[in-house]
Amino acid sequence: MNNNRSSYGGYQQQRYGGSSSPTIKNPSTHFAKGTEFNDRDRLNDMLATEKWLTDGFNVFVRETSHQDLYNDVLHILNETHHACRDVFNLMFEKGWYSLHPEQPSHIADHYQKFSGYQSQFPSQGTGSYQYPSGVGQHPRDY
Amino acid sequence: MYHNQNPYSQQQTRMSQPPPVLSTKDDAYLTDALSWELLAAKKAHSFASQCSDQQVKQQIEQLCQLHQRHYNTLLNHLSTNQQNYDNQMPHFHN
Repeated sequence: MNNNRSSYGGYQQQRYGGSSSPTIKNPSTHFAKGTEFNDRDRLNDMLATEKWLTDGFNVFVRETSHQDLYNDVLHILNETHHACRDVFNLMFEKGWYSLHPEQPSHIADHYQKFSGYQSQFPSQGTGSYQYPSGVGQHPRDY
Repeated sequence: MYHNQNPYSQQQTRMSQPPPVLSTKDDAYLTDALSWELLAAKKAHSFASQCSDQQVKQQIEQLCQLHQRHYNTLLNHLSTNQQNYDNQMPHFHN
């Protein structure tokens, strides 16, 4: 596949090493491998920054007083999440991020288990109620 | 006395939501968040200028612009609030 095993999922590759589980990963795009702060470091640092900002804005939006401020801060939180996602996607595209699929039998077991728990639902309602405060939020417009 | 001049304690009708007035807590969070956004914008611009990969450079420069826009959105709440404040709480400072 590729020669660059120094991906961010490195420890997971050890954990899954030897199993039949394949790695979901693009070929790694070249970046400086020396002691300098390289492009992958910069992108990773920005991802950490965006993640940190979502934590801050999550608390902020919960503490806001009036509706206009709530709307704007929730919007900023949403866009910051999208920014995180875009950076993550670019890292994946560059081959700097790898994933490992769970074994289908494990997923099937868990589906079975939690389908059974649905019998414990206490309410007879259909769950179609929508919270009015959340209506009108544009999920992605930057 | 302070509480006698506060129009919000003498409302004729019950408020269903807080009025468009910044609380002390709002102001504290806004100033915090403005600092976060400015720092993020500066960092992104600095990083973008150092990138050799054009795709990475472009993505990070977009982050810089996003954070500048967020900064302006937040700053707007500090600049317009004074008008709302004066219109709706004319005697608060007297």
